[in-house]
Amino acid sequence: MRASIVAAVAALALAGLVPAASSAGAAGGCPAAWKSGWQALANRIQAPVYCPTWMPNPLDAKIGGDYIDIKSVSKDRSYLISFLEHGDAGSGDVHVNFRGYIGRTAIPTCTTVVLTGKKTIRGHTPCFADAAGTRTARGISATVYRVNQDADQWHILFAWRHKGSLYTISEHVIRPYTYRQVVKNLERMLAGLVLVRPEG
Amino acid sequence: MRLTRRRFLGGAAAAALGGAGIYELVDRLTPAPARPVAGPMPAEQHVFHLGTVESEGVEVLVPPLHSEIVTATLAVDDLRAAQHDLEDALAGLDAAYAPDPSGLGVTVAWGLPYFSERVTGPAKTHLPFDRRAGRSVLVPERRFPSDPHDTILERNDVAVLLRSDDLDHITAARKALFDELGIFHVTSMRRGFAGGGFSGKQSLPKKMAMAAGVPGADLIPDTAELFLGFTSTQKAGLGPGLIANHETLGFVDVRSGYFHGGTHMHLSHITEDLEAWYLNFDFDERVLTAFRPGLTQVKQGAQTVAQGPHDVSSRARLARQFEQTGRFGHSASIQSTSRLLQEVVGPDGTVYPRGTSIPQRADFNTLDNPFAYSADPDRDELSDEPVAGVHFVVFNPSGDDFERNRLAMDGVLPDGPKLQVGPRSRASGFNSVLTTTHRQNFLVPPRRHRSFPLAEL
Repeated sequence: MRASIVAAVAALALAGLVPAASSAGAAGGCPAAWKSGWQALANRIQAPVYCPTWMPNPLDAKIGGDYIDIKSVSKDRSYLISFLEHGDAGSGDVHVNFRGYIGRTAIPTCTTVVLTGKKTIRGHTPCFADAAGTRTARGISATVYRVNQDADQWHILFAWRHKGSLYTISEHVIRPYTYRQVVKNLERMLAGLVLVRPEG
Repeated sequence: MRLTRRRFLGGAAAAALGGAGIYELVDRLTPAPARPVAGPMPAEQHVFHLGTVESEGVEVLVPPLHSEIVTATLAVDDLRAAQHDLEDALAGLDAAYAPDPSGLGVTVAWGLPYFSERVTGPAKTHLPFDRRAGRSVLVPERRFPSDPHDTILERNDVAVLLRSDDLDHITAARKALFDELGIFHVTSMRRGFAGGGFSGKQSLPKKMAMAAGVPGADLIPDTAELFLGFTSTQKAGLGPGLIANHETLGFVDVRSGYFHGGTHMHLSHITEDLEAWYLNFDFDERVLTAFRPGLTQVKQGAQTVAQGPHDVSSRARLARQFEQTGRFGHSASIQSTSRLLQEVVGPDGTVYPRGTSIPQRADFNTLDNPFAYSADPDRDELSDEPVAGVHFVVFNPSGDDFERNRLAMDGVLPDGPKLQVGPRSRASGFNSVLTTTHRQNFLVPPRRHRSFPLAEL
């Protein structure tokens, strides 16, 4: 039931008939309802993180909220925060990832695996590839990547560097959002990002 | 939100669009390319002179802007009268249009049901025999390892391929052959387009996919000849002259000679998952998937990648690269069977060097899902939602020759080991982004016997 409601609302939002539901309306800061989670993340990794002020319908960006799918922090302080609405009734998925690679700016390398008969051949490939232009907002100049790996597979991904670290946001290209709509969503998210610095 | 064809027609463009629907945009979006002056009408129905241009330093054939295939079963029992009527109508089209894309190309192909049920006795005597395969040149349809289990194997009596830069010519031909004669029950109509981007402007597949709003349309390179982004009509990659005739390469016995100058035609409809192709394969992987692993000198963004006789993959190289990388390219696997292993001199004295391509393709992109019209919409799962695909048309000397190429595409090599990878794996060429919905084999008689072949005997 929830999925069908989500689908209907998403369709209306796509048609421009309703505003996106997940704009937290924060003027200049991380939305109050979402801030504690992002602040806790920044504190944990002792590095700035980017908090969104808008999310594609129906998601919000509350870490620990209804849509959180992955919250992963590695020993090297890199993180993956993922929000997902899975449309079980065929309404499609909305899936957004936030990543940070603290203290490094190189595009990470992912492992590929090809199974041939009884043999497994492993290889390596850039985790983000097929650069397709840049987008600039709020002083961030992000490169658009179309072919991405692992949790960002089938996503469009924006990547940028800030003070020696690499950050990304990405969204899955899947119904109800087309490629073009995903790019617009990412542009809107990029334009609303605010930096949350560690406290203490 | 995606447009269905109906919604699309209901939009701003509706007033300007007629019965041909979305495909009429082709005429409006792209001017017809300049064509060389047509020569005399060839004896072969499948030979169609296209003219060439240079693309990224490679000579490529310029495909007709429009193509259409109409399939049918017979609506009459008096085959001799029908033979006369159809030939009259075809001759009328011959007289009205130049035999090149500025005019009209008409290829009439006949399916196994026609030969086995309508002209059974003469077919046993006259149908060419593939000595290499030990069976007729016209073989029953089959599914291949990468096909879905429910790929429909069709049983049409006849298929007519219409090709032109002018949609009006195709419409007139369809009316003359199918609406006015009354000798066929039309079972399907299949429409599409190709090319249009060689001048550096946005190509037809890109424009049409964008207009229809199919998923992944934005990701197609602007000047791509076909949806998947690489030029597929380079001259060296297609069989030259009469090489696809039954008799040219010597492995087909044309027996009485009735079908001398004929060929085999395979027709299929394939959907293409553009988002999977462009979002899961980066450019380098698209190159090695479309061509072969190890092809590292291709400039980023290139669309025309030379595939001349010297660029051909041998079976040994295919096997070696598969051993090293666990994958094979679409072209490399097919080249292991589609290129001449040694020089051949044709019956007319034409020399075909080693590495020459044998198949002559006439495929074109489509937004049909799966057809523009079907007499059996439930069986064909007809939908008015546009989908990116290709109506694949290829001429080979025999059905077995086609099957060899198609099996090689799935890593099954003749007289050799199967390349051990899943048939729909992303490691096996294009297969993971293609889905074949329909297949049928046909025999294309020479022009002199194009109308109801063998009916007069």
